[in-house]
This record gives sequence, structure tokens and C-alpha cells, in this order.
Amino acid sequence: MKNSNRANMCVPLLIPRSYKTSEENKTGSWRFLRPRYLEKTAPCSSACPVGQDIPRIQMLAVQGSFKEAWELLLSENPFPGTCGRVCFHPCESACNRLEFDEAVAIRMIERFLADTASRYELQPRLNKLAEKGKKVAIIGSGPGGLSAAYFLALLGYSCDVFESSNKPGGMLRWAIPFYRLPLKVLEEEIARIESLGVRIFCNHHVEFEKFKHLRSNYDAIFVSCGYQKGRRLNIPGEESPGVEDGLTFLRELKSDPSSPSLHGSVAVIGGGNTAIDVARSVLRCGAKPVIVYRRRKEDMRAFGEEIKMALDEGVRIEELKSPLKIEKKESGVILTLQKMKVAGIDESGRAAIEPDNTDPEIVSYDRVFVAIGTEPSEPWYVCDSCSGKDIKLYNSVMRFDGQFPVIFGGDLTTEAKTVTNAIASGKEAAMALDVLFRIGKDFVLPEISRCRVGNGLSVSMEIYLNGERKNRVSHVVSYAEINTDYFNLIPRTPQPRLLREERINSFSEIDLKISGSVAMKEAGRCFNCGICNHCDNCYLFCPEIAVKRQDSEEGGLRAINYDYCKGCGLCVVECPRNAMVLEEESA
Amino acid sequence: MELSVPDREFMYSGHVACPGCGAAIAMRFVLKALGEKIIMVIPACCWSIIAGPYPMSTLRVPVLHTAFETGGSVASGIKAALEVRGDHETTVVTWAGDGGTFDIGFQALSGAVERNEDFIYICYDNEAYMNTGIQRSSSTPYGAWTTTTPGQDWKKMRKKNIVEALVAHRIRYAATANIAFPEDLINKVKKAKNMKGSRFIHIFSTCPTGWRVPSEMSIKIARMAVQTNIFPLYEVENGVEYTINYRPKGYLVKEYFKLQGRFSHLTEEDLDQIQEMVEEDWKLLLRKAGVFSGS
Repeated sequence: MKNSNRANMCVPLLIPRSYKTSEENKTGSWRFLRPRYLEKTAPCSSACPVGQDIPRIQMLAVQGSFKEAWELLLSENPFPGTCGRVCFHPCESACNRLEFDEAVAIRMIERFLADTASRYELQPRLNKLAEKGKKVAIIGSGPGGLSAAYFLALLGYSCDVFESSNKPGGMLRWAIPFYRLPLKVLEEEIARIESLGVRIFCNHHVEFEKFKHLRSNYDAIFVSCGYQKGRRLNIPGEESPGVEDGLTFLRELKSDPSSPSLHGSVAVIGGGNTAIDVARSVLRCGAKPVIVYRRRKEDMRAFGEEIKMALDEGVRIEELKSPLKIEKKESGVILTLQKMKVAGIDESGRAAIEPDNTDPEIVSYDRVFVAIGTEPSEPWYVCDSCSGKDIKLYNSVMRFDGQFPVIFGGDLTTEAKTVTNAIASGKEAAMALDVLFRIGKDFVLPEISRCRVGNGLSVSMEIYLNGERKNRVSHVVSYAEINTDYFNLIPRTPQPRLLREERINSFSEIDLKISGSVAMKEAGRCFNCGICNHCDNCYLFCPEIAVKRQDSEEGGLRAINYDYCKGCGLCVVECPRNAMVLEEESA
Repeated sequence: MELSVPDREFMYSGHVACPGCGAAIAMRFVLKALGEKIIMVIPACCWSIIAGPYPMSTLRVPVLHTAFETGGSVASGIKAALEVRGDHETTVVTWAGDGGTFDIGFQALSGAVERNEDFIYICYDNEAYMNTGIQRSSSTPYGAWTTTTPGQDWKKMRKKNIVEALVAHRIRYAATANIAFPEDLINKVKKAKNMKGSRFIHIFSTCPTGWRVPSEMSIKIARMAVQTNIFPLYEVENGVEYTINYRPKGYLVKEYFKLQGRFSHLTEEDLDQIQEMVEEDWKLLLRKAGVFSGS
């Protein structure tokens, strides 16, 4: 071979060379299990009486989207500033994080969001539907009545609220002391409700005649006048001077904050939140309060944290003592107390009690307050028995007077008589009336059931209005369903508080504000049970590159390409918060 | 998005890895870190199959499929050829399984590293010859069942410590990585890419088929290998500077073993013995890294 030929010769390429991609290989045909996105219900949301979308609120708070988080709160509850202070936070007791380290401080974040909105005077974007041309009368301007008015107004109804006292707010205004709920917070929240066009008529007591009269001017009535009347002890001497109703005392204290000065030793009979509020207020007025309770401390109906703070402030609790009679003496009263003993535990886990056979104890006090619970102030309010014609909902009862709809809510129908339960009943009543007016009586119960959050008693307005939340299933995510590999132990942020010494001399708010960075850090502890927070583990770990992201302003949508998904299930296991599900492939 | 992982994909769907394959996940992360200016050498291993039958390819980068024992030598040759052509930019990457690295390709790898050839060698380790039918390799861990260590004849030799073997060559960079720690993995590959000389990355890659585990547990098991100290995440520069990249939670090794069918025959005593072996290795590593934490 000549040299020139050799130089021109090209070495043939003997290596076969691929010229197309593997994408024509539709490996989805291998699949016998199918993963898909399926958002579920967080235990906190299910436990929340108003069904707040707590995991989503935390997700927004972590991102610093405080306004959006606050608006989300407002979509289910017109009182986030109030509930962020006084709610008994069953959400925190249900929090899955409790099994990991400590529950997320959900109430503290709710309050932070409400306070932040108030500080910057933010105006919420509330979606008010078109006027429906119907009028609803609401009796009572407590949390139940005002919530019904708020949601009815948003649904397009015109509402008039009738309040017997001279200012709106019910128990929020008259019973909860300022150290727990400052007046400014309540007034701002009521003003927001009024700004929707709700009219509140104060000094309008609705007695039965007036009630009948209202029927001719309105299309429906919501009755939520609460339990206003203090229950009586039914023992001799109850009428003596120096024996007063606890709730009346709180009401007077709140209407005149210059406050009466008390002295000496004051007995407070009862074991509920009112008793604790009375005792702590008495302390702030300068006297020494003693709570007299017939069962044990742990059986008290008051919230544990309140009892703890009361004890810390110097309130004494005399447990297992039942008053037999009260006698007047020249300055003050003498209480005769029967010592009680535990005789087993009842169904609710509280002690059943009976007198032990010792001689009664005789103690003298300067004053006695009775706070053993409340009852409806007029008999026609009572709605404890349901007839067959009534529609019993989760938090309220719809009754028909002929064809005229009357809904009972608030303390009159809720099982737990708390602020948040009352709000829940007002919201539910608004939804129920809307269903009734739009599509009729037969649809009330099925429609309300459709809006249930998880397996609790709460219903969601967002679900009712067919928001995205309706796509979540009611399955409540358990701790075992959380992939805790993705979470680190972080202690719960403690609620900053006034020092004990600062607390006992004034009615200043005890719980202090937290900063935005603290709120974001605390919200970041949330597992976001059952909802997608766009962590992208599904996308990241997919061996088939079958999870697609389409980034958008909301953080992006994820979709599984079933042409290639082999159904390995990695995405479902690696989803930290159980927002996916793996199901058998249908044939 | 919580993790900083590059968005761009260099792999196509439609590859033929088993469902839940750790090696497929490892490849995806590695390519994301390397970018497109690379040539990949794949000696015989699972990935020779996964990359697709001719004329298909599942990778968006040039790949040369080569013989089992040639991962180190073919890469050396390609790098030399690129230099001759004046291409100093393209990174040559060998992508081999544990068989092609620990056993059959070890000579070529050792030679290339001894010459300090300028390339990256990545071993995705699934701890046996998986695509030929789960035969034990020198990477198969103590205690494991394979088709060649069946029944009571389970493997009673330790897993070869490949990183230490290469560190003994005073290799420029050697690191371990794990598919359950994508950020760490990607950082290490990027770091290696910006260096010259021989670089070695050992990636722990679950094999659901060969380890007898459900496919959805792939990542969970890989993570557990790190948390139990069985597969620590660390790197070594120039054969001497050790850095431990992750402080594990220190779970007991049985938490890792009980998840896998290939270890189901082990007794409590066996597990206790393995626990001791793992602790011994971990202490040795801590000493090398200059960490004297009593643990």
C-alpha cells in the first residue's frame, strides 16, 4: 500500500452508535401499583371547632406570607385575634408533633397573624357573594351571633343583630377579663364584621313577643343569646348580702375598669373557667381569693393552663369541699363546708364524690362569689330536645315554626360551651340557611355533612364554597403516617408572658407578642400533615423522571407521568407528610 | 423547594432499571451535578442494561460501553485522546458497579489512580453482581445472603473498604455519597468536577431486587445505612485530609438489617457482632478525621 493511500484512508467506525432515546419504551406498563397525589386532613384541623386549615396556615406563615395566612384564618373564623388568645386550642392536643417532641404552638401563631394584620392595618380580601335579597335576624351578639352575621353577610344576606346589653360582643365583652383579651382586639374584630354591612342594634332585648314580631320582617332567625344567667347553689343563705354572682362581678369589672377595691379573703365557688377568671380578677382587685370546689383539682372544667397560672399568681384552691349553707355576719359571710371524698370515677374520667362523714368546716370570708355555671335566661331559648321535624346539625339545630326557619346556636346547642364552638355554630347556621334558601330543606343535612373537616364536629366554609380544600379526603393523618426522617427535634417556642409580679397588680394582657422570625420558626415545626407544601421529594427521588413540575406562582403543580411511572412507590414513602397515596392499579 | 438540586435533567424516561432502583437515582443526581460537557465510560454492570438496548440511549451525554475490567484504562485512553485533540474541557467519567470496581476492574482503576489520570471514577455500590443474578462481590457486606452465599453459607467476610484502598494511593479526592442525601451527593460531584487528577466517588445505591426489600423502601434503607454508621458520609483529600460530612443519629444497626430480606437469617448474636464491627470502623474513621469524641 502506498503511503499516500494510507494517509487518505479513513478508519471505519466499528462501534454501533445509539440514535434514539429510550422514551419510546413506555415503562408505565410494568406498573401494578399507582401513586397519586391525595391531600388528607390534619388532626389539628379535625379537632379545631371551626375547622381551620392549620397545616396550610403554617405553610404560608413559614414563607412569610402573613397576610395570606391571616386571610385564610378569616375564611373560617371572623375572630382570629380573639381565638388566638382565648381558644382552648384542642388543635394543639391533637398535633402529631406531640408524639415527636412537642405540639406546634398553633394558637400563638394565630394570634401573631391577627396582631400583625392589625398593626399594619391590613384589609383582607374577602369574597362577598352577590346579594340574595333575603334578611336574617340574629338574636345575641356574642361570638355565635356575630359569626353567623359575618358569614351570612359574605354569602349575600342582609343581617340585623339584636343585642340586649349596651354593647356587642356577649361573653367576649362581658366575661373574659382584659388580661386575657384586650378590648381593642375585640372591637377591631367586631368593626370588621360591621364593615360587611351587618347592623347591630344594642339595647334591644328580644323577649318572646318581640321574637314573634321579628318573624314577619325577616326570612329566618338565628337564636344565639347564650347562657347568661348564673346557676344557683340552692342552699340556705344564698341570698345574703355579700354573696354575689361571679359573672355579674366580671361584667361590672369590665364595664368600669377603675375596678372596685376588694379586701380580705374572698371565696369563689365553682370549678369552671368563670370561677378561675373571677378568682384571678379578685386577686387583681387586692383581695385573697380561695376557690372552693366540690371535686378534685384535676376534675375542674377550667382549662389546665388557666388553673396553673391562677395557682402561680397566688389563688388558693380548696378541693373536695361542698358548701352546705351561707350565713351573714356583721362584716362578711360564714360558709359551712362539707368535706367530700372520691367515690369512684365517672364516665368522663372525673371523680364521683360523696360526703365523707366528718363534721362540716366553718370558714368566714369577706365575700363569696358563685360561679358554678350558667343557664339560658329565658325558657324559650332552650333547645336541648330535638323533635323529628328539627334538623340537628353538628353545632346547631334548625327548627321550623310552620315553614319559618329558626336556627339555634352558640351555648344553646354546642356541646362544649366555648367561644370557638359558638363561632362554629354561627358559621354552620349561615351555611345551613344558605342551603335552605338556595336549594331547599332536604339538602341541608347532606350539604353540611359534605363540608365536614375530618371526623370531628367542624365544618369548613372553604369546602362549602367549593374551594380547593374540598379535594382533600376526610382521612385524618396519624403520626405513624408521617415520615419523620425529614424532621429534627426542635423545642416548642414558649409563650412569652408578663412576670407574675407584673401580672397580679393590673389587668394588662399577660401573653406578650412574638416577632415575625419567631413565628416563622415555630410554624416551620409544623409537619403540614396531609397537604403538599411543595418540598419536591416526589420529584427529586423519582427514578423514572416521571414526576413533572409546572412552576407557577402558587408554588408549582406536580403531576405523575403514568407513561413511565413503574409504580415503585418511592414518592409515596418519601412524602414526609402523607399527601400521596399508593393504590392497586385497576385492570 | 427545600433542596438546592439543579433542575436540568440529563436522563430520559423509559430506561429499564427495576422499580425503585437506587442506581437510576444515583445516575440522575450525578448527571445533574456534572452537566453536559462529559464523556461517560460504562464497563459491564447493571447500567449497561439500564441505559437501554441498542439503538436507544437513556442518557443525554455520550456514553462508551466497555468491557468489565476496563473502567480505569478506557477512561485514561479517552482523556489522553481528548488532550491530543486539544479538548481540555470535557470531563471523563467512569460509571461502574461494585463488581467492576472492587473486583474485576480494580487493577485498571488502581493503575489509573497510581498514574493520577485526570478523570472521575464513580462507583455505584449495590453490594453484589445484581444484573447477572445477585452473586456476591467483595463489596457484599458481612452477613448478607446472595445466590452464591445461600442459606447458612451467608457471607462471613467483611466488605472491602474501597475508599480506604484508594486513599492508600494518595488519590486527589475520594468521597462517599448516598442517594438519600442528594445535596451532599451533588456537592461532592461538583467539587470533584472542579479538581484535576484522579477522583473517586463511592455512592451507596439500594437494590430492591437483590436486597429483598420493597421498592418503595429504597431511599429509607439508604438513609438508614448512614444513620446507623454503616455507611458514613465523608471525604478525603490528597489521601490525608479527612472530613466527616454528616453526624449520624447513631441508630442501632439492627434497625437497618431488619428492613432487608437478605439479612433475615441473622440472629441477635450476629447482629450484636455486626454492631461491634460497625462501631470499630466508625471509631477508626473518627480517629482518621481527628475527631476524638469519646463516642
